[in-house]
Amino acid sequence: MTADAFLFWFLAFVTLASGLSVILMSNPIYSALCLAMTMVGISALFVTLNAFFIAGVQLIVYAGAVMVLFTMVIMLFDLKKDVQAFTKGKFTGAVKIASVGLLAGLVVGAIAMSVSLMGEKTTDNPVMVGTGMETTKALGNILFSKYIFGFEALGVLLLVIAVGAVALARSKGGTHEH
Amino acid sequence: MNTEFITNIGLTHYLVLAALLFVIGMAGVLVRRNVIVLLMSIELMLNSVNLTFVAFSKYLGILDGHIMVFFVMTIAAAEAAVGLALAVSIFKRFNEVNIRFFEHLKG
Repeated sequence: MTADAFLFWFLAFVTLASGLSVILMSNPIYSALCLAMTMVGISALFVTLNAFFIAGVQLIVYAGAVMVLFTMVIMLFDLKKDVQAFTKGKFTGAVKIASVGLLAGLVVGAIAMSVSLMGEKTTDNPVMVGTGMETTKALGNILFSKYIFGFEALGVLLLVIAVGAVALARSKGGTHEH
Repeated sequence: MNTEFITNIGLTHYLVLAALLFVIGMAGVLVRRNVIVLLMSIELMLNSVNLTFVAFSKYLGILDGHIMVFFVMTIAAAEAAVGLALAVSIFKRFNEVNIRFFEHLKG
């Protein structure tokens, strides 16, 4: 077994195990920590795909900023006793799990059947997107030329979101009388 | 025994891994009741989609997938901010962040 394969299987195991723990832990703070572990695993998977800049952004934005946001909000609440963490009702729960399993089977089956149709280019990786800084350079070029309007729209969206989040957090919660 | 599947990592492996992560996130959204854990599951799903984008971007040799990952990351961060603001609002009103209190929201 080569180092690449071992790395992939190890990272896949870590990512899936911590992803499962996110939804199985009944304490939200443990879920947040497991989600951070998942983010780190996905970032390492990006490194194995030669997407170094994306991996760094993933670490900074997700494992840094978003997870800090989650843990801050969790610490803001007093959630020591998380009553009824899961949905009640055995039958509906079984139906939900079954539907999720059905979706998993469908998607994995579709991938397994369609991969052979995608041609030789996808079976191995002769085409590298460049190594190291070249990818980042090309990424910057394409982001500020081809996708400049999307980029500007994202800037506007972030401004709106910042204002909206502050306005939402300040409100007293709904239009009901207190 | 055929060891080709284990030793030769290709596009399929990444796609299946991303699909499994997506399904885990979907199960979390369906089964959990805590709003914060729901938001975490949504983040998990968005991350698996990012993994698919980057895998295809590498194996097709096109860089546009990386740009899509940027956009998805930004949207995900914005969505987390708004969702957590909503959770704070719910918690102020009901002293609990259970999804069943969302039925009381009006206006």
